[in-house]
Amino acid sequence: MERPKPVGPITVPGGRGVAGRIFSQIQASIDETKEEAGALIPVLQRAQGLVGYLPQPILRSIARDMRVSLSEIYGIASFYSFFTMVPRGKYVISMCMGTACYVRGGERILNTVQKELGIDPGQTTHDGLFSLEMVRCLGCCGLSPVVAIEDNIYRRVTPTKMQEILGTYA
Amino acid sequence: MLTVLRSVKDLNTLRAEAQKQLAERAKKIEVKVHLGSCGIAGGAKTIQEAFIKEVSHHQLSDVAITEAACIGPCGREPIVTIVHPQKGRTVYAEITPQQVPTIVERHLIEGKAVSEWLLDVKSPEFSLQEIRVMANQDMDPRSIEEYIARDGYQALAKALTQMKPDEVIDEVSRAGLRGRGGAGFPTGTKWTFVRRAMGDEKFVVCNGDEGDPGAYMNRAVLEGNPHSILEGMAIGAYAIGNVRRGFAYVRAEYPLAIQTLNHAIDQARQHGLLGKNILGTDFEFDLTVFPGAGAFVCGEETALLASIEGKRGNPRQRPPFPANKGLLDKPTTLNNVETWSNIPKIIVKGADWFTSVGAEKSKGTKTFCLVGKINNTGLIEVPLGTPLGQIVFDIGGGIPDGREFKAVQIGGPSGGCIPIAHLNTSVDYEAVTALGAIMGSGGLIVMDENNCMVDTAKFFLQFTRDESCGKCTPCRAGIPKMLEILTKITQGKGTMGDLDILTELAEMVGSASLCGLGQTAPNPVLTTLRHFREEYEAHIIDKRCPAAVCQALFHAPCQHTCPAELDCPGYVSLIKEGKFIDAYKVIKQRLPFPMSVGRVCDHPCEVKCRRAQVDEAVSIRDLKRIAADYAYEHGVQYLPPVKPRKAERVAIVGAGPAGLTAAYELVREGYGVTVFEALPVAGGMMAVAIPEYRLPKRILNAEIEGVLKLGVELKLNTRVNDIGDLFKQGYQAVFVSCGAHKGDKVGIPNEDKQGVFDAIDFLKELNLGKKPQIGKKVAVVGGGNSAIDAARSTLRLGAEEVHILYRRERKDMPAIIEEIEAAEDEGIHIDCLTAPTKVLSANGKVSGLECIRMELKDFDTSGRRTPHPVAGSEYTIPVDTVIEAIGQRPDVSFLKDSEIKSGRGGTIIADPRTLATNRPGVFAGGDAVTGPKTVIWAVAAGQRAATSIKRYLQGKPLSQFIERNGYEPIEIPNTPPTEEEVKERHRLHPSHIDLRERKASFKEVLLPFTQGEASEEASRCLRCDLEVAGEE
Repeated sequence: MERPKPVGPITVPGGRGVAGRIFSQIQASIDETKEEAGALIPVLQRAQGLVGYLPQPILRSIARDMRVSLSEIYGIASFYSFFTMVPRGKYVISMCMGTACYVRGGERILNTVQKELGIDPGQTTHDGLFSLEMVRCLGCCGLSPVVAIEDNIYRRVTPTKMQEILGTYA
Repeated sequence: MLTVLRSVKDLNTLRAEAQKQLAERAKKIEVKVHLGSCGIAGGAKTIQEAFIKEVSHHQLSDVAITEAACIGPCGREPIVTIVHPQKGRTVYAEITPQQVPTIVERHLIEGKAVSEWLLDVKSPEFSLQEIRVMANQDMDPRSIEEYIARDGYQALAKALTQMKPDEVIDEVSRAGLRGRGGAGFPTGTKWTFVRRAMGDEKFVVCNGDEGDPGAYMNRAVLEGNPHSILEGMAIGAYAIGNVRRGFAYVRAEYPLAIQTLNHAIDQARQHGLLGKNILGTDFEFDLTVFPGAGAFVCGEETALLASIEGKRGNPRQRPPFPANKGLLDKPTTLNNVETWSNIPKIIVKGADWFTSVGAEKSKGTKTFCLVGKINNTGLIEVPLGTPLGQIVFDIGGGIPDGREFKAVQIGGPSGGCIPIAHLNTSVDYEAVTALGAIMGSGGLIVMDENNCMVDTAKFFLQFTRDESCGKCTPCRAGIPKMLEILTKITQGKGTMGDLDILTELAEMVGSASLCGLGQTAPNPVLTTLRHFREEYEAHIIDKRCPAAVCQALFHAPCQHTCPAELDCPGYVSLIKEGKFIDAYKVIKQRLPFPMSVGRVCDHPCEVKCRRAQVDEAVSIRDLKRIAADYAYEHGVQYLPPVKPRKAERVAIVGAGPAGLTAAYELVREGYGVTVFEALPVAGGMMAVAIPEYRLPKRILNAEIEGVLKLGVELKLNTRVNDIGDLFKQGYQAVFVSCGAHKGDKVGIPNEDKQGVFDAIDFLKELNLGKKPQIGKKVAVVGGGNSAIDAARSTLRLGAEEVHILYRRERKDMPAIIEEIEAAEDEGIHIDCLTAPTKVLSANGKVSGLECIRMELKDFDTSGRRTPHPVAGSEYTIPVDTVIEAIGQRPDVSFLKDSEIKSGRGGTIIADPRTLATNRPGVFAGGDAVTGPKTVIWAVAAGQRAATSIKRYLQGKPLSQFIERNGYEPIEIPNTPPTEEEVKERHRLHPSHIDLRERKASFKEVLLPFTQGEASEEASRCLRCDLEVAGEE
């Protein structure tokens, strides 16, 4: 499947500021892909990595630059759970809800977090500090129940330990 | 060292150089830190830093610190392997930074391993495994030189220069390698299809999506042995022909794997092992890693390929199969990570080597993730065909905390639950499918008695519903519908008709869905319905969750699990506040024997106690005793109100706990109750079997008297011989609760000699005040509570040496664990794996017991291994007394003309819920129906009988629920535990009287808590009944 080639140079909105830098980096990603099939997902991953989420202007910009309809991009962003179109908190708490963690009491840990932070999976705290996500298996089943906060993985978590862990991020 | 390899000769030169370097390094002591994702999560990086610091501090120049990947025992991370040039390989587990200096000093400097911190690599956990795919896990995954030193890329070299493409495929076919991703499709066949497909551009793809929760074998190989995948794919590309590009789709949740694989690809390119003219041939091949974005369905073949094409991961119709029309509509082979990883060895070592292990149609080995409720959690590799029970018990080390095994979930959300009865199942593709499950990618999740199978099925459906791509109606609409029904059932709103609808839906979704996700999503439902139907029925009919998991059905799991549903949080919280009398009243309203049960119960409540998730269960039984004893010592006896006397009269046969509880309940309703008891004392097994040192008779008699005081007529020494006669005497209903007092005989020669006793007869004689004549050396045969009771009693009667002979292992003994431990404390020998064959006698008396050793073989349907005698292992123990305690059955000879049916083991057949027998007006319960069980079950049976008899006499239909009498309300404290109370602390256990005193008398052994201790222990209760911690 060939995509039609872009016509002429594209002007990047936002100019020289932070937004401009982000847009140029995304543009650079798009250029790197050299029109390969399947490029859309890595570009979206890069964009989300830069911005923290996928706001509408970014999606529109990518749609235009890659000659893809906005609805198709929306279809991809909404399908894959790694993409989010709402901003996430500073610290994303990934609660593992895999079978091994569930069997060893994972739901109880989730309830503890829900109670402590007052949010449900998919939501962010008012102060923007924490977002809560449910992940289906981080692959550390030997140490279940497992919770990941950003790059830190906590193992054999108990409700008491969970409260302590949350405390260290305040 | 050489970088670009332009020929096989270059490769061999590099290998030689690399091997030489490794040999040099092997002269040093190597400290390998295992840095797989699990290791890092466990803190391995800190350990690595600690070692670097210590080694540099001591200036040890003969130590090399290296990195390796995950080698398997993930539950015991961080792990460090030390390879000593003279002393060999040792593995440290669960290392803390504080331990590092000691290891460095003792092991690295002094050369003495710290044995307490080592893994026993010779134990069955490891010796039963067959390491092939995981053979490179102990190597540095970032070193292509090390891979080449271990014959890496030799297979590729051999294929490219010595084999034709068709020959490569033949070898793979001959090996019988089956796809390791789950479906088990023969790899050689798949490659043949792709080879034969038309097209001059084809692809090889690696499926590293590994979405099954609980499965992470592929992650370990991606992180630990990335080059094996590259090599395998290159070989595959060559064999299929016209393949110049490959893709490795790795899920985004594995960042380390993606990084490692990319690094390996870069290295391979630098060395000319990827790209054009590989090893000087005209073969060209390159590989790109494609990260996933968090969609389980992308593990499905066509969805994965769509994802690589940058689209939504929607599966599509097959045919056409990817072998003909795959990635970008070109012929493609998609294989799992482990499948690819197996290829190089098959080429280098040959198909015959590969097939040297495995089952008939499932050759080779398979990696599995053994996780969940298992002692040795981690990654294992075994030959296909290994029995499941061996994996769970021998390799896995069994279930933690002494809980009972319930099921193994195999195959992730597409798989099924295999119960106890099938522990002998060979783990191979065919056998697993026959049980309704699938092998899947290799996740084995072990579940115990505290996991609910209905809840598990619900959990998996929640998963598949979330991950469904939505394209086809059966999956998109069918799964939520099934989930709705399951949720209803877990909330106690299900009906039996729901099970039929659920089955129908499951079969429809399975057969009509477009892709594997939908086709297999119903498997957890279908297998749990097939193997655990009683559990579904308990939720529906009894509104009960046997595992005490489905929160909507109960408040506190302890109360829910208690057969008599005693209000444990209620009385425990009263004890916490020092309100012992109120606590006693709460118990006594429902249980006529709190002092007795508080001493002898096998406490199912404690097994479910949620406090155990913090530290240990609460000592609920011992607290019950304190409250009841307190009331007794202060002269307080609670007598419930009794309704005005009705006309109807009820006869109860047997004054054991079942009969007396039924009497207690019925007399309160106003019925005239007469209890007939053949023995000279009331109390059943509590009086005549349980010894004085466990349950003092004056305590029991006080409680029995409390029942009789309400107006129950008791006729001792009165055996009932004819049920019909009772009706003639004017009783309108009868409850048969005669217990199981007849001891089973072992069936060996000379059992009739003087000195051989039946345990129950022996205990009965003792408890009725006669002194059985026993000798000095006693052998007790059996492993249940009666055996322990008999053994500990003989000690107190003057026996000098007492042996308990049990034919299985100690952990299989059905006796209460505290009793077994108490017996051992008192010096009783517990001889396991032995069974008697003959009683030896001299002058008509017992002189010895000939025994034979047993070995455990296959599992039976109860989940225990069957003992078999070991030929030629007979031996004799010199004893003068033998007590047989292998089982009991009821004596139902008096029912011979009553038309009441009895079944297995002579037990009376009665409906398990209403206790109705086949004769109207006659109900039966307790040991007489179930076979030997415990007191609390008998109490519950008494309550059931009372409910049924009451309804029967009122002309109402019988019910499956126990109706308990109206209670005097007692205010229960409703303050949840404080933060301080929830913090970890030790459980208080009651202490014992002095050991010498124990062995010399029948004085009660367990000492009570003090009031302060009781309040302290009671404050550990989490008050699950208040449901403040965010439960549903």
